[in-house]
Amino acid sequence: MIELVLQAIFSGILVGSVYALVALGLAIAFGTMRIINLAHGELVLLAAYTAYFVETNTGLNPYAAIPLALVLVGGLSAVLFLMINRIREHRELNSLILTFAVGIIITNAILLAFASDVRTTTSPLLQDAVSIGPLFAMNGEVVAFAVSLLLMGGLWWWLKGSWYGQAVRAVSSNRDAARLMGINPVRTEYVAFIAAGVLASVAGVALYTMSVVQPSIGHAFTVKAFIVTVLAGVGSIPGVFLGAILLGVTEALTVTLASSALQELAGMALFLLVLFFLPTGLFGARARRG
Amino acid sequence: MIRKSIVSLSLALAMAVGTAAASAEELLIGAHMPLTGSLARSGQTFTEGMQIAVRQFNERSDKYKFKVEVIDDESTPAKAVSAVEKLVNDGAVAVIGGYGSNIIGPASAASNNLGKVYITAGAVSDELTARGLKTFFRINNNAGYQRGVENLVAELKPSAVSIIASTREAPALLAKGLEQSLAEKGVKVTVHSFDPAITDFKPIINKVKLRDKADMIVMSAYENDYVGIIRAAKVLKPDVKLIVGVWSLATPKMYSEFPDLMNNVVGTSFVPFPVEVNDPEGKRFADLYREVYNKDIEYLATLSFVETTILLEAISRAAEAGTLDKGGLPDEMRKTDRQTLLGRVKFDETGDNPFFSLSMGQHRDGKIVLVSPQANANGSIVYPGLPW
Repeated sequence: MIELVLQAIFSGILVGSVYALVALGLAIAFGTMRIINLAHGELVLLAAYTAYFVETNTGLNPYAAIPLALVLVGGLSAVLFLMINRIREHRELNSLILTFAVGIIITNAILLAFASDVRTTTSPLLQDAVSIGPLFAMNGEVVAFAVSLLLMGGLWWWLKGSWYGQAVRAVSSNRDAARLMGINPVRTEYVAFIAAGVLASVAGVALYTMSVVQPSIGHAFTVKAFIVTVLAGVGSIPGVFLGAILLGVTEALTVTLASSALQELAGMALFLLVLFFLPTGLFGARARRG
Repeated sequence: MIRKSIVSLSLALAMAVGTAAASAEELLIGAHMPLTGSLARSGQTFTEGMQIAVRQFNERSDKYKFKVEVIDDESTPAKAVSAVEKLVNDGAVAVIGGYGSNIIGPASAASNNLGKVYITAGAVSDELTARGLKTFFRINNNAGYQRGVENLVAELKPSAVSIIASTREAPALLAKGLEQSLAEKGVKVTVHSFDPAITDFKPIINKVKLRDKADMIVMSAYENDYVGIIRAAKVLKPDVKLIVGVWSLATPKMYSEFPDLMNNVVGTSFVPFPVEVNDPEGKRFADLYREVYNKDIEYLATLSFVETTILLEAISRAAEAGTLDKGGLPDEMRKTDRQTLLGRVKFDETGDNPFFSLSMGQHRDGKIVLVSPQANANGSIVYPGLPW
């Protein structure tokens, strides 16, 4: 029993780290602009298919696709921002419709380009098993975990240490006050959106190396990312990571101790409980007080 | 709403064949297929098999030429219902259904209300044939898949089996039937149901490894699930002797895309690979399919080919007898009794095909060897046999 639970926690942490990768992009755009990018999952999916394209056409490791994914997904994010920025009324609501439509377009473009088949890495290196005592994982999962930590650290440093990072935090905190301090909020939001695209690029490539992708699963990534963002609380980057790990571990323990059919239900129950008892998220309130 | 309406190439191609086509009566059939959405892969392959069946029929028929109007149901029941209504409104004499029992159910009911024959090869739920619809027909069913796995289990005699089943309707139903029948035969069975949204199967495989101590894993699921399950098994290496699945697993495509995961895995099949088709109809189908789509026939395309061929033949018979416009097509469908690539097809009073049964094929270094039942086998099974 202990072995089962330990493996579940270990698997949950690994899966949670990828949830965090996916959620970070959504969280940063949500935090800055107060809009939910419903095409975020599809952007992640586009990066995953870029990794598939590079791997099958060049034989290179899927992580070699990151530069191309950055160009494609980052570029698309920039275009998406320009479209959102043209919305003059009810930006929160209209951006939902716009990003939902863009998500559908991306899904169907992927479907046309890559067909509806199931795709995943064929790299033996990433698929091989690694064991830490009684705990097992795929190399791809461990690499994705490390990438997630690195990216989280990088983002943390960028938000704390760089001028644009601080501007993003300022706009996120109070848009009008930030403008009075000489920050151009539109440009800052633009930067935040591109940063979200960069995060989606890496998340997609990491997902491709450890999971299975299909054109229809983009929206599921968005939903998962949204749950993690709400769990964490707006504006809390470490919160996103911890919220994602919490979600991953909850799901894995549900599979182990109850039934795998209840996994999604457990995730949603956790989401609702947090919303009910901590409306600002697990870490949002503390961050605001701090 | 994204709706794709594709007019078949078949009529144009048939008309190019010769002057006989000019005097042939043209008939329209309708089809709703999941060309986008979660079932798009199945829908696209189904469409391919259907198009070849229409083309092949038109080649050999001088009197009746068919064209098919296809509407994308986007893998959703509501779209499928409106697709049926549009197809019938456009003049379709019958409708070919897409994929998924939850979609076929309301779509076939709509077709029945409109008095049009509805045939499918993509819905195996028992509830569909229990409704008493006069115009509903299908060539495959849950019992056929169950028989395939039961035969294999009876031949290999494992003492414990772990069934890993999606909670979607068809896989869940198959898992339930297998659990019951294998338990009655004295096999220790444990079922692990999973939500289709999950991607990490390690916690389930770990339960199989540490708790079930099974000899065999049976997957009642779909392609993306198969990949996730086998991959998790490859990481955790449970002490099982064989991994078995059902539909869409023992296909050349699965091996070519996931060679490291598929070797020795067993799934339902009807022909070995490289394809060995002996009857002229099957050979022509395989040749045409390769010519048009540049690949070998596979399981879903063959299902679709057979259902379409049977429908076109029945429509021709009804048209010949002058009963097509008078509601005579369901009766002609019930007169069907023929050998096909999938074996005998004959419909009972519920519209089901009780003769549907499948063999089991094992992936073997890029080939698929039929290993069960022994009467249909073209090789012996590797057992124990695992992908790692």
